[in-house]
Amino acid sequence: MDPITFSIIRHRLFRVVEEAVITLKHVSGSAITNEGHDLMVSLYRADGSLLMGGVGFLHHLTSASEACKAIIRRFEGDIEEGDIFLLNDPYTAALHTSDVYLVAPIHHDGRLIAWSACFVHVFDIGAMNPGGFAPDATDIFSEGFSSPGTKLVSRGRLRRDVWETLLNMVRGPEMVALDLRSMIACNNVARERMLTLVNKYGTETVDEAFRRLIEQSEQRLRERLRELPDGRWQSRQYLEVKGEVFRVLLTMSKAGDSLTFDFTGSSPQSRFSVNCSKWASLGGLFAPLFPLLCYDIVWNEGVIRPITMIAPEGTIVNCTRPAPVSVATVGAIQSVNNAACSTIGKMLMASEKYAAEATAVWHANHFAIFMFGNNQHGRLAIGILTETFAGSGGARSFADGVDVGGEIPNPISRMANIETIEATFPIRYLFRRRLQDSGGPGFYRGGTGGELAIVPHDAPDGGLHYVVSGKGTKFPQSEGLSGGYPGGVNDYVWVKAPTSGVNADPFAQGLPDMAGEKVPVSWGVFPLMGQDALYVRWNGGGGIGDPLEREPAAVARDVVDRAVSPLAAEQVYGVVLAGDKIDAERTRARRATLRRERMAQEGTR
Amino acid sequence: MSRVSMTLARENGRICCASCKMPLAGGSESWKARAILTEVSVARLPGAGLGVEQEVTIRRFSCPSCGALLDSETALPGEPFLEDVVLG
Repeated sequence: MDPITFSIIRHRLFRVVEEAVITLKHVSGSAITNEGHDLMVSLYRADGSLLMGGVGFLHHLTSASEACKAIIRRFEGDIEEGDIFLLNDPYTAALHTSDVYLVAPIHHDGRLIAWSACFVHVFDIGAMNPGGFAPDATDIFSEGFSSPGTKLVSRGRLRRDVWETLLNMVRGPEMVALDLRSMIACNNVARERMLTLVNKYGTETVDEAFRRLIEQSEQRLRERLRELPDGRWQSRQYLEVKGEVFRVLLTMSKAGDSLTFDFTGSSPQSRFSVNCSKWASLGGLFAPLFPLLCYDIVWNEGVIRPITMIAPEGTIVNCTRPAPVSVATVGAIQSVNNAACSTIGKMLMASEKYAAEATAVWHANHFAIFMFGNNQHGRLAIGILTETFAGSGGARSFADGVDVGGEIPNPISRMANIETIEATFPIRYLFRRRLQDSGGPGFYRGGTGGELAIVPHDAPDGGLHYVVSGKGTKFPQSEGLSGGYPGGVNDYVWVKAPTSGVNADPFAQGLPDMAGEKVPVSWGVFPLMGQDALYVRWNGGGGIGDPLEREPAAVARDVVDRAVSPLAAEQVYGVVLAGDKIDAERTRARRATLRRERMAQEGTR
Repeated sequence: MSRVSMTLARENGRICCASCKMPLAGGSESWKARAILTEVSVARLPGAGLGVEQEVTIRRFSCPSCGALLDSETALPGEPFLEDVVLG
């Protein structure tokens, strides 16, 4: 195949995915999809192997591949042109039940040539808690409907019996219908554009390009791995639910042109829904691997081949049915993301050539609050506070992390405008801004997270309720690199109005300004009613290098910008300010003192 | 001298501080056991959250010669050190 034809086909595949994503967003009516970009679209070969990984949450790329393969096995002999299949069973391929896959075979002249696949986090899945995350669930059976494979569209015709059965099991069926229709439209666009490509170049040429594309990716990743040093790197993540602490322990080994991710030593599976299945862990480790090691390589089956995962069965990273998993995406999967990001960052940092690509861990813990209740328009509203996608950048080896800078597993994640949320839910924001001292200290500082507070407003029922699956309050998880500190933690605070009935200060600029009893909450369903308020803060990214080596001028700038407090400037960075100016003499003395203190204690295992 | 991290290097088969070049351990030994360890309570850091676990610390591993901060890790008491080995 001539290289120009190959290159054109490769670029056309990118554009197919891009147009399908646009379709998905335009048809969906959910803020989590079209504002937060909790979505994914990808293309697969006829055997279900990953052909072109798209954008969105990257831990779905390998799981949707497994979904295609599961459909191929289950429906052998019954996969026809125009079919679309639904799959959301976490023990078959999905991450959790509310991230529903719709996968569609693409036929040309009666022959199966490829698959398209997409997901959105649907409005509701019928779990015991609204919105899909079900902290009260005790098993998979209480986490909503769960299909290992259902034909939703048969030869281009919607199966009304299946459609109506699904919508009969969820809250807000009209919104779930819109979610499903957005995915049907997305797959239809992907199929049409793929057929245009095949009609122009012919099946054999296109299939040959697919094969070469995968070979090229494998070759290029293996070449990159050979350039990196061999070794073994570790990372440890703590998760806490209701006083129980769980560990995700990762040892990543690199030998020659292959990588092994070994989760031996991770905690046994939990009775809480933070577990994940093996397919989810596999996706979890690939989510940072794609952008950190394959930023210039097409994300496909070729990238998967050099990678091995060891995840002992019965652990929090490979739980067995019927363990609950509805919080997996922000639980064990995100910890796998973080651990893989940390070990890959360490490996890159060990290379002269690739050190510039190293990063500390980005935004390590979604706060994932789902609100639900009747809104000011008289309709049931269920949805996530999209600030959970706003994230925070980890420090790079050449620069600070980006404040509220997104996250590694989803390159297009973002948050909705406040006005969008206030138009959908009966709430009002008191503030939303960067969170001081949340970026992990270091020579390069981690990007800050953020904080917000909301109160009920114009609520027909006096307020609403919210589901919080709150990990990340006990342990920092955005690990630093080369001495950098981790980013700050999350907090969820129910501010109970004073008995005087005085409302929250509408001009409050932070939690200290808010009157009332402050009760930390973390797991379950809670009210936001009357004069009460909800305060949330989210974590910052990890830092890189020694905070005592950071340029004092950079620290002073952070203080002026309110990214760092004067207290942290002095205690952590050893920079003493007089107003906005650096007191150079006292800074030298302070740093010398802090270094002496650091030398004063000899540690042992 | 070859790179191990931003703060560590390998020279003559030994892991050393990249800043002052002091040897810390043989290539296959744990260099962390030879470093100076201090622990900072996460709960006492400026900006710590309301719910932070009181026992969790940031372990800081410093060069016993020049005091350069070589690495850090988050840990509960009694946890083994995270061990990173770069073979070159």
